[in-house]
Amino acid sequence: MMENIKKVLSQFETEYIEDYKTNYVKAKFKNPSDLLDIIQALIDEGVKSCSTVSPTDFLEDNRMEVNYFLEDMITHRNVWLKVDIPRELEECEIDSITPLMPSADWHELESYSTFGVKFKGHPDLRYFLISTDYYGLYPFRRDFDYLEHEKKLNENIAEITNEYHDEYEEEQKNADPESSQTILNWGPTHPASGPIRLKVTADGEIIKKIDLDIGYVWRALEDLVTRKDFIGAIVAVERVCFMDNTNPMICYAQAVEEIAGKEITPFARYMRVILGEVGRSASHLVAMGGFFGNMGLMTFMMWMLDIREAYLDVLDNYSGARIATACVEPGGVRYPLEDYKAFFASVRKALAKLQKHDAEIEGIFMKNPLMATRAKGAGIFDRDDMEKYYLCGPIARAIGEKVDVRLDEPYAAYGDLDMDYELEQTGDARDRLLMLYREMKQSADLIEQAMKKIEEGIEAEEMNPQKDHMVKMPRKMPAGEAVSRVEWARGEMLMHLVTMEKSSSPYRLKIKAPSLNHTLILDPMLRGKTLSDISLLYGSMNICQGDLDR
Amino acid sequence: MGFGEILFHIFVFPGLLFLLAWTFFAFYFFRKALAYMHRRVGPHYNGPAGSLQTVYDIFKLLGKESITPRTADTYLFNIIPILTPVIASLPVILIPWTPWINNGHGILDTDYGLLGIVVLIGVEPFLLFLTGFGSDNKYSFLGGMRVLVQMLSMEAAFFLAALSPALLFGTMNLYDIQSSNGFGTTLILLPGAALFVVAMLGILQQPPFNIPEAEQEIVYGFYTEYSGTNYVLLKFAEFVEFLVVSAAAVVLFFGGYHGILMDSFWCLFLKISLLLFVILVVRAANPRLRLDQMLKFSWSWLTPAAILNLVWVAFAKIYLVGM
Repeated sequence: MMENIKKVLSQFETEYIEDYKTNYVKAKFKNPSDLLDIIQALIDEGVKSCSTVSPTDFLEDNRMEVNYFLEDMITHRNVWLKVDIPRELEECEIDSITPLMPSADWHELESYSTFGVKFKGHPDLRYFLISTDYYGLYPFRRDFDYLEHEKKLNENIAEITNEYHDEYEEEQKNADPESSQTILNWGPTHPASGPIRLKVTADGEIIKKIDLDIGYVWRALEDLVTRKDFIGAIVAVERVCFMDNTNPMICYAQAVEEIAGKEITPFARYMRVILGEVGRSASHLVAMGGFFGNMGLMTFMMWMLDIREAYLDVLDNYSGARIATACVEPGGVRYPLEDYKAFFASVRKALAKLQKHDAEIEGIFMKNPLMATRAKGAGIFDRDDMEKYYLCGPIARAIGEKVDVRLDEPYAAYGDLDMDYELEQTGDARDRLLMLYREMKQSADLIEQAMKKIEEGIEAEEMNPQKDHMVKMPRKMPAGEAVSRVEWARGEMLMHLVTMEKSSSPYRLKIKAPSLNHTLILDPMLRGKTLSDISLLYGSMNICQGDLDR
Repeated sequence: MGFGEILFHIFVFPGLLFLLAWTFFAFYFFRKALAYMHRRVGPHYNGPAGSLQTVYDIFKLLGKESITPRTADTYLFNIIPILTPVIASLPVILIPWTPWINNGHGILDTDYGLLGIVVLIGVEPFLLFLTGFGSDNKYSFLGGMRVLVQMLSMEAAFFLAALSPALLFGTMNLYDIQSSNGFGTTLILLPGAALFVVAMLGILQQPPFNIPEAEQEIVYGFYTEYSGTNYVLLKFAEFVEFLVVSAAAVVLFFGGYHGILMDSFWCLFLKISLLLFVILVVRAANPRLRLDQMLKFSWSWLTPAAILNLVWVAFAKIYLVGM
C-alpha cells in the first residue's frame, strides 16, 4: 500500500523518500513548481485530504520549509511532504493546493498570515486569524520583534474597535431598504456562539450565506511555546482548549519523546490512557449538554455538568487541578501515584455515576421525540465531504467512517487494549449526539481495562506506581523533528515539532486542531436552512473556539 | 359596590398587591422547581430556602438604569412596558377568584366573561411585537415577527379549545361554567383541556414553543434591548399573563375555586400551581421546536383537533348529558 505512494513520489525530483513510523511516507522534493503535479498524482492514488500546512522558518539557513501533511482517510496512509522555498518576502511563494484539496484552504491562509508564505492561485488569499495590527508583519517569523509591537498595544486596540464600527456602518449604508435581507452578527457575544463571529446574511428566517470571522481568542500559542522550555511548553499546549485538557499534552509529549529517542514506561502509557479518556469524557459531557442547550433545554446540560464534576474530581485527585491540570509531560506522566487504590476508587466512582444515570439519559434525552424532530436528518454530510474538508473525530465516525487515530496509529497503550471503532450510520445531527454518548461508554470501558492492566502489573511487581511515572529526559534536545497525532475529543490533533541542536525550547511547534476544518463546512451546510438551525448544527459539529484560533 | 371596596379590589385583591405577591411567588417557584429538576440547589442563601432572593433580584433590577437605545423609537420603546402589565391584568376582574367576593362571581359579572378573557389574552402578543418593532434591533425585530406568527397560529386552537365548555354548558358566564362543571363534565371536557394547555404553552411562549424569545437563536428576541425597570415591568406582565391564562384554564375546565371539601381561593391556587408544575416539567424535558415545525404542528394537528373536539363536545351534549 505504502509502496504505491512511494512509486508516485519517485517520479519527481526528490532529495529523499523514506518511511516514517508505520503509516507515513516522508519525502522532500526539490522543485516547488512540482507541487501541483505531485498533489494531483497523490489524489489519483487516493490521498485526497490535507490535514494541515505548516511552514518552518529557518532564519540561519535563510530558507522557509513548507510541510504538507496529507492523508488518505479511507486506508489511513499518510504523506508528509516537504519543500524549501526562499525566505525573502518577495520570493516566498508557492502554488496553492486549495483548488485541488479544499481542506487546505484555511491552513494556507493561516500560513500566509503568520509566515508570509504567498499561495499563488488561492481563491481568496487574505489575512486571517490574526488581528489587524499584525497585518503584513507575519508574527511567527523568527525575526519578528513582538516586544516592539507590544508598545503600541493601546493604539492598536483602538484601531481595531474603530474598524469594527466602520464595517458596521458600511453594512448599514449598503443595506437595501426595500429588501427583506439583513446581516446578523452572530457573535462574538451571542449567547450560543462563543468567541467567533458568523456574519449571517439572512432573508427573513432563511440563511443565504455565512461569512466566518475567527481569531477573537487568538493567543499565538504556537509562538508562545517557542519562548518556553520543553516542560514549560505543556502549559501553553494544554490551553488549546480546556474541555479536553489532557490529550493535547499527550500529543506534545509524544513528539518530544520521539526526538529525544526515549521510550516511556508501560505504567505511564496506561496512565496516559486513563487521563486521556477522562479528559475526553469531560469534553463529551459538555458537548452533549451543549447540544440540548442550543435548543433551549438546560436540564441535560446541568445533569452532564453534575456528572462531569466526578470526572474532574479524578483529575483533581491526580494533579491538584480540575481544569488546567498540566498532568502529562515529556517522559511520562507528571506525578507518581502514592496511593493507587484511592485514585482508582475515585475513577470508578465517576464511571459508576455515569452508569447510574444511564437509563435516564437514554430514556429522557437520547430518545427525546422533539430532539429527533429537530435534529434527525439535519446537517448531513457524506464521505466525499469528509475527504474534501478533512472532517475527523466523532462527526466522521457518525457517518460510519472508520476514522480514529487511536486505532489507525495506536499511541500510548491503545494498541494493547481491546477496542473497536464505534460507529453510527447516517451522520445527521442526532447521530452526532448519539455518537458522543457511545464514545462516553467506550471511554469508560477503556479506562476500566487500563486500570485492570495497571493493577495486574502492580500485583506482578512489574510496575511501581511510585517510581515508574517518568523516565529521565535530557535537558537539551538534539536537533530533529517529529510528528505526533492523537485522537482528541473533537477529532485528530496533529503536532509538528522542530528542535535545534542542544536547544532548551522548541524551535517550531505546529498545532493542528480539528475545529478549523469543521468550521469550513458550516457555510455550505447551513445555506438555505433557517436561523434556528445555526445554533443546533453549529453546536453539533463539536467546534471549540479555543482550538479554532489557538 | 362601595368606593372603598373598589379601591381594595384595585390595590389589594385581586389587584396590584395580589399580582405582585403572585409574581414573587411564581418567580421563586419556577426557579426552585426548575433547579430541583436540574439537580441544582437554586436560590439558597437569602431568606428561608432562598425565598427572598427573588425579592432582592427584582428590587436590584428596579434600581438599575433603564437604557433606551439611541436609535430606538423612544416613545414606543418606553410606553409598551407600561401598557403591557395593565392590559395583562385586565382579565383579573372577570375571573371568579373566591366565594367571598361578589357572591363568588367575578368582580365584573358578565355573560360574556369567556369572550372578554380570550380577547384580552389575545391582545398581549401585539404589544410584544411592538416592543420588538420599537427596539430597532435586528434580533428584537425577528423576535417580534416570531411572536406575531406564533400568536396567529396558536390562538385559533386556543379559542376553539376555550369554546368547548361554553358549548357544553350553553353559557359564556365564567361563574356559571365553573359551577355547572361536575365530575362527568370534566371528563367530557378533558380533550378540550389538553388542547387548551398545549395552546397555552404556545400563547405563553413556553418550551417547546419558546420560539419568539429563543436565547440561543435570537438573543431573547423582543427582550434584548430592555433593562432595569422596563425589563421588570415586562417580566411582571409575563407572570400576570401566566396567572390569568392558567386561572382561565382552571375556571373553564377544572371547576375554579370549587374543592372537594370546601370552596376557597386556595383550591384555585393549588390547581394553578399544579398546572404551573406541569408546564415546568414540560419545560425541563423538551427542547425548542423550529418556527416552521411549530406552524406545521399548529395548523395541521392542533387546530383540526380543536375543531374535532368541538364536534365531540356537541355530540356529548346531545347524547351523553342529554341537554
